[in-house]
Amino acid sequence: MENVSLVGLSRQMTLERQLDVVANNVANINTNGYKADRSVFQEYLSSGAHEDNFVGRDRNVSFVWDRATLRDLTTGPTEQTKNPLDIAIDGNAYLAVQTPAGERYTRDGGLQINTQGQLVTASGYAVLGTSGPIVFQPGDKDINIAKDGNVSVVEGANKTDSIRGKLRLVSFAQAQRLLKEGGNLYSAGEGATPQPAVTAQVNQGYIEKSNVNSVLEMSRMIEVTRAYTQISAMLQQQTDMRKTAIEKLAEVPA
Amino acid sequence: MQALYTAASGMAAQELNVQVISNNIANMRTTGFKKQRAAFQDLIYAHVRRVGATASDQGTILPVGVDIGGGVKTIGTPRLMSQGTLSTTGNELDVGIRGEGFFKIQMPDGTFSYTRDGSFQLDAQGRMVTSNGNPVQPTITVPATASGLTINAAGSVSVTLAGSTTSTVLGQIGLTRFINKAGLQPNGDNLFTETPASGAPQDGVANADGFGDMQQNNLEQANVEVVTEISDLIAAQRAYEMNAKVVSAADQMLQSTSAMFR
Repeated sequence: MENVSLVGLSRQMTLERQLDVVANNVANINTNGYKADRSVFQEYLSSGAHEDNFVGRDRNVSFVWDRATLRDLTTGPTEQTKNPLDIAIDGNAYLAVQTPAGERYTRDGGLQINTQGQLVTASGYAVLGTSGPIVFQPGDKDINIAKDGNVSVVEGANKTDSIRGKLRLVSFAQAQRLLKEGGNLYSAGEGATPQPAVTAQVNQGYIEKSNVNSVLEMSRMIEVTRAYTQISAMLQQQTDMRKTAIEKLAEVPA
Repeated sequence: MQALYTAASGMAAQELNVQVISNNIANMRTTGFKKQRAAFQDLIYAHVRRVGATASDQGTILPVGVDIGGGVKTIGTPRLMSQGTLSTTGNELDVGIRGEGFFKIQMPDGTFSYTRDGSFQLDAQGRMVTSNGNPVQPTITVPATASGLTINAAGSVSVTLAGSTTSTVLGQIGLTRFINKAGLQPNGDNLFTETPASGAPQDGVANADGFGDMQQNNLEQANVEVVTEISDLIAAQRAYEMNAKVVSAADQMLQSTSAMFR
């Protein structure tokens, strides 16, 4: 088999996976707190023949492989919802969430209250404060979440605020090492240690939308399709070439 | 090709998003209506190369991995239980709640439903009922000869009976609250019922202990904001279109593959 087919195939495989990544970004264009992924490619050199007796050394063949999916960590646009339980994080920080599988992190600020009065995510996992889950009392109203993450309420007929906890905001020195788990959650992979976020601020009544840039994704999609078609055409030409060669060479003059 | 199914999940999600938005817009003039919104989450990821995996004997680890996501799912359509605007109607049996609480309504089968729609009527027996004829709790019966019906901030209903100069208190309309009111189940007719998610109902009276107060001659409008809904609708429509484009892109790629070797 000639190298053209193999090199072409390596590119087509990566293009298919790149379209998968684009498709996932586009599918999550309305997912709160979603961060877009981007494929990163690398040249993969296969060593040529090592026999020194060849006249002129065989040259390396370079294949493509998708080395990584890099996460775009920019903050998505924030939308005002006026819902007291919606928060948008200003800064490179995450909310800590308690799940059955352990502590997870999220940027999705569409929060709810569960039957026990705990502050939870849309999936029902408790949002962690600096000292455990944040619990509201039945008579609490006018929930206020301050810039620093302090959650205060007016309890019953009280005139003054009661503090219900402080949101635990964490940041990561190497946020790329966070692992996407689905469900808008990240887990701290190896080499990612949560640290208290000092500079991050919380905006109540706003929600962070997905940071997927539709124009970019659409043009990337066109690029992928065109590249794929081109390689298909190239592979086809190569097949035709081989076909012609076989036909011509096998032609025995009568 | 994964991209086809990923984009299909995106189209399904946006279709649901448009459904939710259209229901909000359809109910923008419904008394006591609380708007919903569709909440989405990303689906599971295939970790083709896992981030943090050890890349060499020296213990270097991969700073980034290859994660291929599988699309989007709808996690829920939470209801936004914010206060709607009170508008004056001048009807003495119209009551709006300013603050926490729901009216408790007895259904024909004896169970209770809860509503923020305070457009009450009197039935043949003089009971205060909803527009569907179900009595508000506790039942308040207004005598036929009564006039000058007044409902105060605490929900106390008083009238002036014929031949009397002083007003008589007939009863007090109760309020009920839930720890997670967004977890109530909507049943149509502006009614909600309790669910395991909402928590048990806590009965009380208006203007006390954290409950809201009652405003006679007022009705609570829907909390739907048209501008938000329309811009959400546009965003949903465009997102749907873009997902459809991805489907056709994947289709085109498959087509060029199958056309490769004739």
